[in-house]
Amino acid sequence: MTAVDLRDPSTFPTRRVEAWKYTDLRKVLRETPPPSPVVEIAPGGPFAGLGGEELAFANGRAVGADAFVASGEQTLRLRFVSEATGTGHSAAVRIAVRPGARLTLLESHEGQGAAYVANYRIELDIPAGAEVTRVVLVDEPADAISVAVTQVKTAPGAIYRQTTITSGARLQRQETHLVHGGEGTEITLDGLYALSGERHTDLTSVVRHGGLNGATSQLTKGVVRDTARGVFQGKIVVERGADGTDARMGHHALILGERAEVDAKPELEIYADDVQCAHGNTVGNLDEDALFYMEQRGLPADEARALLTQAFLIEVVDRIAHEGAREEVRSWLTARL
Amino acid sequence: MLKIENLHVSVGDKPILKGLTLDVPAGEVHAIMGPNGAGKSTLGYALSGRPGYEATEGSVQWAGEDLLELDPAARAAKGVFLSFQYPIEIPGVPALTFVRTALNAQKRARGEEEVSAPAFLKAVKAASAALKMDFEMLKRPLNVGFSGGEKKRMEILQMALLEPSLLILDETDSGLDIDALRIVSEGVNALRSPDRAMLVITHYQRLLDYIKPDRVHVLAAGRIVASGGPELAHQLEAEGYDKYLPVAA
Amino acid sequence: MAAVQETIDAVAALEKYEHGFISDIETEYAPRGLNADIVRFISEKKGEPEWMLEWRLAAYERWLAMEEPTWASVKYTPVDYQSLFYYAAPKQKDGPRSLDEVDPEILEIYKKLGIPLKEQEVLAGVEGAARYAVDAVFDSVSVVTTFKAELAKVGVIFMPISEALREYPDLVRQYLGSVVPVSDNYFAALNSAVFSDGSFVYIPPGVRCPMELSTYFRINASQTGQFERTLIIADKGSYCSYLEGCTAPMRDENQLHAAVVELVVLDDAEIKYSTVQNWYPGDAEGKGGIYNFVTKRADCRGDRSKVSWTQVETGSAVTWKYPSCVLKGEDSSGEFYSIAITNGHQQADTGTKMIHLGKNSKSRIIAKAVSAGKSDSTYRGLVSVHPKATGVRNFTQCDSLLIGGDCGSHTVPYIEARNGSAQLEHEATTTRLSDDQLFYAQQRGLSQEEAVALLVNGFVRDVMQKLPMEFAVEAQKLVAISLEGSVG
Repeated sequence: MTAVDLRDPSTFPTRRVEAWKYTDLRKVLRETPPPSPVVEIAPGGPFAGLGGEELAFANGRAVGADAFVASGEQTLRLRFVSEATGTGHSAAVRIAVRPGARLTLLESHEGQGAAYVANYRIELDIPAGAEVTRVVLVDEPADAISVAVTQVKTAPGAIYRQTTITSGARLQRQETHLVHGGEGTEITLDGLYALSGERHTDLTSVVRHGGLNGATSQLTKGVVRDTARGVFQGKIVVERGADGTDARMGHHALILGERAEVDAKPELEIYADDVQCAHGNTVGNLDEDALFYMEQRGLPADEARALLTQAFLIEVVDRIAHEGAREEVRSWLTARL
Repeated sequence: MLKIENLHVSVGDKPILKGLTLDVPAGEVHAIMGPNGAGKSTLGYALSGRPGYEATEGSVQWAGEDLLELDPAARAAKGVFLSFQYPIEIPGVPALTFVRTALNAQKRARGEEEVSAPAFLKAVKAASAALKMDFEMLKRPLNVGFSGGEKKRMEILQMALLEPSLLILDETDSGLDIDALRIVSEGVNALRSPDRAMLVITHYQRLLDYIKPDRVHVLAAGRIVASGGPELAHQLEAEGYDKYLPVAA
Repeated sequence: MAAVQETIDAVAALEKYEHGFISDIETEYAPRGLNADIVRFISEKKGEPEWMLEWRLAAYERWLAMEEPTWASVKYTPVDYQSLFYYAAPKQKDGPRSLDEVDPEILEIYKKLGIPLKEQEVLAGVEGAARYAVDAVFDSVSVVTTFKAELAKVGVIFMPISEALREYPDLVRQYLGSVVPVSDNYFAALNSAVFSDGSFVYIPPGVRCPMELSTYFRINASQTGQFERTLIIADKGSYCSYLEGCTAPMRDENQLHAAVVELVVLDDAEIKYSTVQNWYPGDAEGKGGIYNFVTKRADCRGDRSKVSWTQVETGSAVTWKYPSCVLKGEDSSGEFYSIAITNGHQQADTGTKMIHLGKNSKSRIIAKAVSAGKSDSTYRGLVSVHPKATGVRNFTQCDSLLIGGDCGSHTVPYIEARNGSAQLEHEATTTRLSDDQLFYAQQRGLSQEEAVALLVNGFVRDVMQKLPMEFAVEAQKLVAISLEGSVG
């Protein structure tokens, strides 16, 4: 599969490409968009209160450096700011982590324009003994188009936790490809989407277990309203010889709009026999019994629904290991429900 | 006072209550007893407005209002509290958060001042201590992973905090051991007052040793078929429900 | 534990593929290869009405314009469609057939396969044993159908589809291709052009079919493709249970089996369709075996209609098969129960599609895959809920069991929900055969192979119980045989 390149419309996949079955990029983007202008941005972003260093891209252009090497205990705020209207921009960033480092990577996709097209590539290398907690907050306008692909390589003994939180866009895809280090490597790959209007988001991931005794835990939860569409594609590959793999994947969605849609493809591809792999997927609506119970105790129906919806999603937020980021995300989510 | 007249309730197409008439004056505790399948739980659900329990005929007056016209939350704000036979688990919502949200929603609906956090916590601590409940448990999601007895105590705790005026206890004794039964009953008895009416729905007489009723009614085949004083419960315990069961055609 | 003992006995007593014998039957072939004339040849052999020939030729044109699908997780040597025979029939007299007229050698084959073709023998069988009617399809033609007369008494039509085309052309014409259109997929188009036989069943309104109906497929001739076509119509309020079994001789070549099965279910009707697929899987090195490329679909048109697919897939070198339900009727229901066992170099890509169009339609999927040796097994399934289908329910459970580190097991479910009132639940697990359980069973005296058979039969038990009894016993034996040599 070739990567999307905004300069070359032939790289825009249609839904006939299996991996893009539910996210037809070509349908909303046929031509190369005009390039986005150069803009100046001030330091900040949703995680500004949590300190650390800032690595920012404004309409795809690096404000300072375009790569980062983490050592010791560090917080990096990686910001992708789009201040564009009807134009397109791309960026690529590499983040390396030194052995033993502990990096909190707070990534924000800050959409401030309209109808822009953004295309990002992120590479992340995590060696033995390093630990990375990545929180990705994607907040874009309803008419934006964005595709972000992250390649994560983990060595044996690396710890990587990722949580992606998004409210969608016209067409949005957050894609993660992870090479699992095996022995001693612990991966958490979570996602949360809360969509309304005509928004669309696609959380796609491929986790490849090649080594022994690797563990992966994935939990994605989503809520769609109105005519929004949530897509979850999760694939876990266990290669020949990757014995002792323990991989769990869950995707659970609530459809709260008559015409909203959820498409899920949780996939297991397994070539080793000494494994424990499982996935679960549920699509449904709020529990009627719980709703009645809450109403019986005096909560008006709307309030009961909102509380149940938040309770449903909050499980993903609670799993965020970094307290500051967790509270930031919690208030972002509460404001949106 | 609660005034139920000729109440007919259907679930789906199936009529369950078929002309139930019952008065419960304020300050009294009435027990509803009856065989399995008589419609005891349906009565509780119909009074509290559970979707799917459709009143096809009759009326229910409570505190001068037609309860059947109100949605479940509005009934709760009017003081209707149903202690569920099987309390619902709500993952993700801590018990404390739930009760406080419910209490404030009721107060808002009645145009009262919301309760402050310190005052609420104080009330919860007192009520949970009375019910011998571990306060830490209240920080956990409501009823999730609670034992049967803990769930029932959680219902009584909510009852104590929400201070309802019409209390409906649906098989509150099921799943309780003797010690828990005593604690739960004490909690209920503490709520007895001249301005509260209470309906105690139970299959067995056992609970009525702890919560003494003023009146006992037998519910069979969707109707009240007999009423009497507390002695009726003992009579039922001794003789069973056989004589109230519909005679086979 | 009688069933377990059966399994153990079966393992001990039987060769790896017991149905692999080759029979020398005098056979009439169509010329090798495929073109419009071959289509005409088949149609003429069958004495078909003109419209049927037109239908076939149109299908052939569509097929020419299509490409062989590549999306399944299977790899195989491409089929050379021009080197196959598309028609092979044992030589026999024309005209109405009775059992007495069937070549005794063919009868001998069915006897060897354990398929009862003599009604009086079935009737004289063990008291209490279920009777079942059989349509025996040998290469390209049906050789005999039993109990036709008795079924006709209650209005049930059970006959080879070639015969139905002559006797009930209007009925066939009304439904043929209405569930699986000619252009549905590559193999369905091919089948529509060249199918030579298969079974036709019509159950009239309100009739509960008094016995199990079954078709037994046998590929005997070499270098021959088998293209059977089955059409079952359950009219309002009717019920039937249909069984299908298949075997083929051991041959070094790969043989193509591209069947189409169409089920039409009207209001309040129910069809239970069970398959035990035991085509020759190829040898231990992966040489030979059947390519089993099958399109099976049920159209639950009627309100409260119900279809239940149960399959035990142990044979074939390559399987590509997704028995599906189009749930159009309100309160209609679809079920799919599957056991897929692969060993050696077998590849299976199988699953189901549940297309929910009707309000309150329900579906249930239980798929159990067991992979051993160097085989590969994929569950591929779709549950889709259309915008107008309110109140839909689905439950899906896919469990995979791996035996040995050289096989593969994959789960590819697609879940598409476009209605807010749907409740869909999907669970999948992949595990290995537990060493502890194996040891425990062996400690109690079972041999390793017996222990494996015991544990695997436990793993697939939920689905096995969905099979009619006569088939369940056979299927259990098959499970054991298919896994021979998988551990050690």
